[in-house]
Amino acid sequence: MREVKKNTKGRYLARTLSYPALLLETVLVSAACAVLALTVNAVRAEGISLIQKTEYEILVPCPETTGEVETLSPDVVRGASRAARVIDARPKADFETWHVPQARSVPYDYLEPVSGATLRDIASSGAKRVIVYGDGADPDCGEHLARELAGKGIKNVGFIKGGAPALMGSSREGGRP
Amino acid sequence: MKRLLDWRGHAFFGLPIRLYLGVIFLMACYHKIVDPGAFAVDIATYQILPLSLINLMAIVLPWIELAAGLMLVLGFRGRTGALLVAGMMAMFSVAVSIAVARGLDMSCGCFASQGANEDPISWRTIVRDVIWLSLAVYVVVFDRRPIGLDRLFARPKPAEAAPLATENQK
Repeated sequence: MREVKKNTKGRYLARTLSYPALLLETVLVSAACAVLALTVNAVRAEGISLIQKTEYEILVPCPETTGEVETLSPDVVRGASRAARVIDARPKADFETWHVPQARSVPYDYLEPVSGATLRDIASSGAKRVIVYGDGADPDCGEHLARELAGKGIKNVGFIKGGAPALMGSSREGGRP
Repeated sequence: MKRLLDWRGHAFFGLPIRLYLGVIFLMACYHKIVDPGAFAVDIATYQILPLSLINLMAIVLPWIELAAGLMLVLGFRGRTGALLVAGMMAMFSVAVSIAVARGLDMSCGCFASQGANEDPISWRTIVRDVIWLSLAVYVVVFDRRPIGLDRLFARPKPAEAAPLATENQK
């Protein structure tokens, strides 16, 4: 129902819409906007197709790998005590082909941050030192994982310079799973 | 409650809120209308909508933002504009909350297609969106006779004007 009121100066005030009328008007405005938008999109040069056929390439920033880490020689792994946690940052397939016996696989992904579960596992392991090795390439996934772990609060993190190839060259103690 | 709703001061509180929200939405819609392709990528980054709806959303939503912004600034169907804004802010708040809960490192895509390093989403973005949603709800509920074109051009129909004119003569 329309509601027209008059103020003290004799001027008419705007009508107040009921909520259903307000909702209806909102739907109508949205529909009008949709028609206008689709028309403009159809005639303009920058218009895009109504339905996207291929997946959009979503760009996400790489995780920050800014932590302070120690650069270690391959011999450190051989002399590492049980209080040290050794982490293999290479892909799972490489880990299954060869790894340091006590190592745990944490494949490093340059786009995805290390999961909270992995961080909690490392933090709660009681390890006094965390030794990470990767593929030894440039960039080295082991160094990046070590920096990310250190940046997220894990203490005493170091990476093996040269990664798995350096370890394989210096020691034949690695075993197949 | 009726006295609260009828209080004339709401129009004076509502005016700056309407102008604030209106300008924000006019600013927000600009880059989306100019470059719908970039906005479509922003929507896709949320990973919420199916691929088939992303472009439709990227084409239509900025024009609704434009309409809502103009309605709020001009005071033309101000409550309708505020309801549009409230609906969009509710939608944006849910989308940003889902993205934050998933740990997505991204920009909200609200005002320009920025990288996550420039304007990353966080709980602050959610708080900001909820504040804007609250302001829009205030206008919908309380600013019933908004200052602006609605008030300027309000005229009763002849049938309604007649009894009022008689009342004036008395």
